[in-house]
Amino acid sequence: MASIAFEGLTKRFGTTDVVRGIDLAVPSGAFLSLLGPSGCGKSTLLRMLAGLENPSEGRILFDGEVVNDVPPGRRDIAMVFQSYALYPHMTVAQNIAYPLRKRGVKRAERDAAVARVAAMLQLDALLARRPRELSGGQQQRVALGRALVRDPRIFLLDEPLSNLDATLRSLMRSELVALHRRIGRTMVYVTHDQLEAMTMSTHVAVIDGGVLQQFGSPADVYRRPANRMVAGFIGTPAMAFLDGVVAAGRLLVAGDVLSMTGAADGAVTIGVRAEDVTIGDGRIAARVSHVEAVGHETLVTLEGGFGRVTARAAADCALVPGDAVAWAARAERLHLFDHRSGVSLDAPCSPVRGPTPRDEQQDG
Amino acid sequence: MKGRLARWGWSLFAWGLILLVAAPLVWMVATSLKPEDEVFSLEPALLPEEPTLEHYATLLTETGFAGYFANSATIATATTVVVVVLAVLGAFSLARLRYRGRETIASAVLLCYMLPSVVLIIPLYLMMVKLGLANTIASLVIAYTSFALPYALWLLRTFMAAIPAEIEQAALIDGASRMGAFFDVLLPQALPGIISTALFTFILAWNEYLFALVLVNADDVRPLTTGVMTMLVSGFNIEWSLLMAASVMMSVPLIIILAFLQGYLVKGFGAGAVKG
Repeated sequence: MASIAFEGLTKRFGTTDVVRGIDLAVPSGAFLSLLGPSGCGKSTLLRMLAGLENPSEGRILFDGEVVNDVPPGRRDIAMVFQSYALYPHMTVAQNIAYPLRKRGVKRAERDAAVARVAAMLQLDALLARRPRELSGGQQQRVALGRALVRDPRIFLLDEPLSNLDATLRSLMRSELVALHRRIGRTMVYVTHDQLEAMTMSTHVAVIDGGVLQQFGSPADVYRRPANRMVAGFIGTPAMAFLDGVVAAGRLLVAGDVLSMTGAADGAVTIGVRAEDVTIGDGRIAARVSHVEAVGHETLVTLEGGFGRVTARAAADCALVPGDAVAWAARAERLHLFDHRSGVSLDAPCSPVRGPTPRDEQQDG
Repeated sequence: MKGRLARWGWSLFAWGLILLVAAPLVWMVATSLKPEDEVFSLEPALLPEEPTLEHYATLLTETGFAGYFANSATIATATTVVVVVLAVLGAFSLARLRYRGRETIASAVLLCYMLPSVVLIIPLYLMMVKLGLANTIASLVIAYTSFALPYALWLLRTFMAAIPAEIEQAALIDGASRMGAFFDVLLPQALPGIISTALFTFILAWNEYLFALVLVNADDVRPLTTGVMTMLVSGFNIEWSLLMAASVMMSVPLIIILAFLQGYLVKGFGAGAVKG
């Protein structure tokens, strides 16, 4: 078990900064997800943790100890690669035993450890096979077994589920969570799948363009995204962004009042999640452009002068494309971002009170 | 109907090709087994009427053939060992390590291979004389290494580059040293490539004629190629029977080696290293 800290971690390949000055720390026993789109630098970050890449600048600390110059084999870590990286010429048993063999563990002890791990991962029947004779899911379990056999202080997992089919993936997700709970080791998990990050982690670090965008609990990054990138990346369907204007405490979209707000006057970007849109009793007119029945719910896309939002509706929703509707958003759940920088304005919104400008005009 | 005709056509073509390649070999074996008078018979027959091993016996007991054979075996084996060791280490460096000038070195190596070997003979000979290595087995080993190594390096480099680096990295994380990962993981994966390289080098060294002719002119260090030629072929006479017997015996080691390693060459090629 070990706590992990990055201090000003930077990795440069030639003149390109792949990772830029990342600072973060997780306590011992955490399940940290490094989440971001492909090419955001999350895998490089993990490889630096493993000791496979040297940081260009900054420090990596395990339990407060700088490990920059410690070679991978002495960091007391285990890693599961995206490709699994099993040793093709070794049997499953030999693959799992390899880390122990390299550490001079005696044969009898090794065999016992392999048997224990194999039983845990249901690999007993496959021990004599070679990796190419296994299915993807079985290979994945062998890779996991090779990591588990040694009981290292940190587990590194590089998109270990991305090669599995959907059913197996959700099964392995819950198994990994159960495993983390059982062994209590620090785990670092790289993924571009926000669902995996949200469901498994205790801590999420959202990375984009080599820069740490937000670090917090899964609930934090979902409920209080630090900027537009995080807001758009987390959540399915993706958050809708509308151009809005704040005028005298009112938040306006295409002339309609969406809510009251504490933000300063000026142009803002409004983030609206699908579950916060209600169709029917609103004041903003829109046309249904797209209806997706997902089974347990229906996703309805609305278009109008304001732009485009997606709403979650009941499964038995009868709307069809072309229908004219009016919508509203739950004010306290709206997200406001700086129009230019995309940084969260962290301004509270509240339901509309009193007459709105358009109402006034109509009154006049 | 048409498909069957095409198949017959292909079959015929393939057998024709086999005949073309095999006929001289069959003739070689047949001639080596014929008594002298049958070889020069005016009505040549494919198969010997009275097969005899007398030419083989003559070669082995009355000529220096056994000595040449030993020289060739020594030269080819030594060259193979030197080339394989250097090429494996060099190819690892060119395929895996990151350093300035790596690609330049790789291209320079390829450039060496592109030089026609003829232009290298005289300089190499002079170098050997200066080094005091003229007329030694070592001079041939060095010469053969110099032109087998570039090709071997490239062959193995390509081979190693195709092996995913991740399995070595996994070994590093699992506690192997750099050399440990190399021996435990990379080497077994590269084995088919190493065997092809060794085979290529051995055959090259075994069959080489030109350098052997120029660099070595003492009879006790001559390899088979030049030894047999100078012994059996002169401006006035060619000892056909002995020459054919010698040719058969020269081919045998290569046939044996190929037969043994063929399985090895195919095995391992299909190994799926990582899921892709």
